[in-house]
Amino acid sequence: MPSWPANPKYISHETRRIDAPAKVTGSARYASDANPGGWLYGMILRSKWPAAKINSISFEKARQIPGIKAVVLAPAIEERQKNSSDLTLRYYGEEIAGVAGSTKQACLDALKAIEIDVTELPFVVLEDDAKADDAPKVWADQPNTSPAKPKESGDVDKAFSDCAAVIEGFYTTSVQIHHPMETHGNTVSWTPDGITCWASTQGITSVHDGLASALKVDQSKVRVITEYMGGGFGAKFGPGPHGIIAAKLSREANAPVRLMLTRFDQALAAGNRPSTFQKIKMGAKEDGTLHAFQLENYGTSGIGGTSGGGGGAGSDVPAPYIYKVPNTRVNHTAITTNAGPATAFRAPRNPPASFAMESAMDDLAVKMNIDPVEFRLKNDPSEIRQREYKIGAEKFGWKAKYKKPGSSPGVVKTGIGCAGSTWGGGGNRRTRGEAQVNPDGTIEVRLGVQDLGTGTRTVIAVIAAEVLGLTPEQITVRIGDTNLPFGPGSGGSTTCASISPTVLDTCTKALQQLQTQTGVPDARGENWFKACKKLGVTPLVVQGQWQEGLSSSGAGGVQFAEVDVDTETGLVTVKKIVAVHDCGLMIDTLTLESQINGGIIMGMGYALYEERVMDDLSGVVLNPNFETYKLSTISDVPDIEVVLLNMPERGVIGIGEPATIPTAAAIANAIANALGVRVSSIPITPAKVLTALGKVPAPAKA
Amino acid sequence: MKAFQYATAHSFDSARQLVADNNGAYIAGGNDLLGLLKEYLASPDLLVNIKALPGLNKIDRGSNTWTFGALVTVAEIENDPHVAKTFPGLQQAAAEVGSQQIRNVASVGGNLAQHSRCWYFRHRDTHCLKKGGDLCYARHGENRYHSLFTGNTCISPVVSNLATAFAALDAKVVVLRDGKETPMTIAELYQGAWENPQAHNSLKPGDMIVRVEVPTIRNVSAYIQASDKHAFDWALVSCAAAATIVDGELSQPRVALGCISPVPYQVEAANEFLQGKRLDDETVAKAADMILKDAQPHEHNGYKVPMAHALIRRTLLKLKG
Repeated sequence: MPSWPANPKYISHETRRIDAPAKVTGSARYASDANPGGWLYGMILRSKWPAAKINSISFEKARQIPGIKAVVLAPAIEERQKNSSDLTLRYYGEEIAGVAGSTKQACLDALKAIEIDVTELPFVVLEDDAKADDAPKVWADQPNTSPAKPKESGDVDKAFSDCAAVIEGFYTTSVQIHHPMETHGNTVSWTPDGITCWASTQGITSVHDGLASALKVDQSKVRVITEYMGGGFGAKFGPGPHGIIAAKLSREANAPVRLMLTRFDQALAAGNRPSTFQKIKMGAKEDGTLHAFQLENYGTSGIGGTSGGGGGAGSDVPAPYIYKVPNTRVNHTAITTNAGPATAFRAPRNPPASFAMESAMDDLAVKMNIDPVEFRLKNDPSEIRQREYKIGAEKFGWKAKYKKPGSSPGVVKTGIGCAGSTWGGGGNRRTRGEAQVNPDGTIEVRLGVQDLGTGTRTVIAVIAAEVLGLTPEQITVRIGDTNLPFGPGSGGSTTCASISPTVLDTCTKALQQLQTQTGVPDARGENWFKACKKLGVTPLVVQGQWQEGLSSSGAGGVQFAEVDVDTETGLVTVKKIVAVHDCGLMIDTLTLESQINGGIIMGMGYALYEERVMDDLSGVVLNPNFETYKLSTISDVPDIEVVLLNMPERGVIGIGEPATIPTAAAIANAIANALGVRVSSIPITPAKVLTALGKVPAPAKA
Repeated sequence: MKAFQYATAHSFDSARQLVADNNGAYIAGGNDLLGLLKEYLASPDLLVNIKALPGLNKIDRGSNTWTFGALVTVAEIENDPHVAKTFPGLQQAAAEVGSQQIRNVASVGGNLAQHSRCWYFRHRDTHCLKKGGDLCYARHGENRYHSLFTGNTCISPVVSNLATAFAALDAKVVVLRDGKETPMTIAELYQGAWENPQAHNSLKPGDMIVRVEVPTIRNVSAYIQASDKHAFDWALVSCAAAATIVDGELSQPRVALGCISPVPYQVEAANEFLQGKRLDDETVAKAADMILKDAQPHEHNGYKVPMAHALIRRTLLKLKG
């Protein structure tokens, strides 16, 4: 069994992305760059009603638009029609039909020409409205609220009476929309020979299996290709309704169809992180140890379920998150609303859990007059995070910077805060790999995995180069194709821990076999080409697989934030983030740091900017664009200092998710520290800051 | 968007004629128009490119008045060292417009004539008052970005950065109307939107902004905006101020606010109050009080009152240099 090499040259060092030139020059091909002959544009007609019953729908006029080659019903509508059930539309943006045509303009005109007669139905889009007894029901046969299922351990009521201090807070988080830079979409070609799909996906296998089963095509006749893709964050698993629509359009048109969602589509129906409304009561004993915890929480995943994404899209956050409290009572209520469905979103359930719990931690620390870092060291059961807090506090200069809440002088106040995270991860044991060593010394490493943009190709090249004594640039990496040996979906921060052991095993075996076959005792490095030449005219092809003991799961992290808050305008500037994270054996420290930077920037957006705004009058998403759905831009990004704990003995662990979890909590705590009052609702806008400061009355409806 | 034809006009008469005869629309930078087209908020049959019209792309630095041609880009204003020296408030307002890419093509005329950014107006599936519907949704719904002052039922504010800065500089906007040059103050250019819920300004079909004339009488100016984000974001509130300061004493002072009213909001009583004053904390606070005293906040935009108050004070104090 292979083991990670000692004193590595590339592993745990910085390697620039091997595909950087392709990305910078534009030669990297994404789903919408696939160019099969005769391809057509595809577009989707979406519900413009938050709730309505379709009485009739006609494609006749749409089909007459010059250039239009196909018009199909969306799969869910077709299904409902087949089962003669009500053709009810349940949210603004729900898929109704798809069109394919030779120009974008033809498609746009066809969408306008589809004739649809509906009866509009009452709707409800806001969580608090949906809870009301007389609220319109989103699903006729079930209530909008899930039944109460309180979970209790210990004796909570008694425990609160034993506490030296108790705080109560109402911490709320917004619905965060999935907005990867590349929208969802595919180019699909469905011919009598089968389906080829160039997909923007986190799981080529999930698209492969999803298309085969939805369209009743043999799995052997479906091929999915993802050479490059522009981010998924949990929302891009399976073909999705848009993928199935594209395939059906392709079959009907007898031509390939490129159907990429518009940014508008993306905001409505491509998934989101559910909202949470967390009422927390928490108490600690005289010595500062947490003793009692109570959470009453509700939130919405829209119409419920998931739309083509991964699982785990509920508002039921883990509580009391990373802390152990002997007496707890937790109840979650899922609220159904006439809004787009939730789907897995980078560390599902964790960022809102962290935001609320870490806010409560600081509120209690302040009440008990304990330094927030000390309070965590006293209560955090993780030995690794304890180390990280100490390292981070030192780097950040916590002791020198910490002031009593609200005591920063002047109009623009400075504050600091911190928060911790946890994540599981782990590797997929079924991961397979293949290496082909050519007589000319070139080598291809092949895995049916996909690169979300995180550096998967580079990680494969780094490990292969390490094992074979070559440079990463000398490794040709072939990924993103279901014709390659099975690779895992990229979700749950599992990719690196799946592929790294597999590549190590595959390349170690390839080296061994090359040495055996050619009689070169050590074929690495300078002997490589000599050995390969001895292969004559037959390349060497070797399979490998994931091996036990080279990866593990369970990563933590802590982050520290420093902010300026203008108390007259309410504007927040994040000045500094120090992030201390562990992920076992680090492969490429450069792509690793990039992952953490990205996680922090996303977490900052969650803290300060991102919020789906539903209009309760019209039922539409009011901000389906980047003008009013606000994302962090480079000028908002603070100085980020990443501190990595390298723990090779633990093997490889993923980092994608834990890095985004604690950022919003740390920023919110820093803002509370600056102001001396808490803004307990994210995103923390100027309006909320000025309201918390008592300069503006709170709106009746949040 | 609906399909359209495209033509380039080489004379002002033919531009006007092409628009009138073909359900047309002028296009210069196109930033605003493209958004309207894509959402089917405007569906002209012909786009008339006005970028080839003569004489509209220059900044002329006269001794008493500078003129900015309607086709001068926002980036040109941002990057012109003479503008930065003579009208720093205008330069700062230009620098805060959109992103670099937007500023590179955005024109002075287009920035002034842009339509409402109200998210109900811009939404393809809400039929609000501004689009001829019965209801100002914002008044009853999500109004965090909306007006504190209005003369009608629509509460969408004017968001042109340049309009705010030009108002403080008491600029004249020259509009070509029926072949005749019609000068308007900034207040006059937007009065239509103050009165009429469906109007974005006082321009009539076929009207074209051709230049802006800015008097050089004021020797100091400043502009500050507050936005959610640090770049590429609309102002929540913006403020421009300009005056002549001699020996610390203000004359010809003007203050204008953006994003809180359908017009760049100016209160003459406050300007008069500032005349002859010296800039100190008390004076600027009093001016801010006067400007904001009749503010009518809605459910979600009350924060704009203290925000505007702070910006007025800071912008005025910034005039001291």
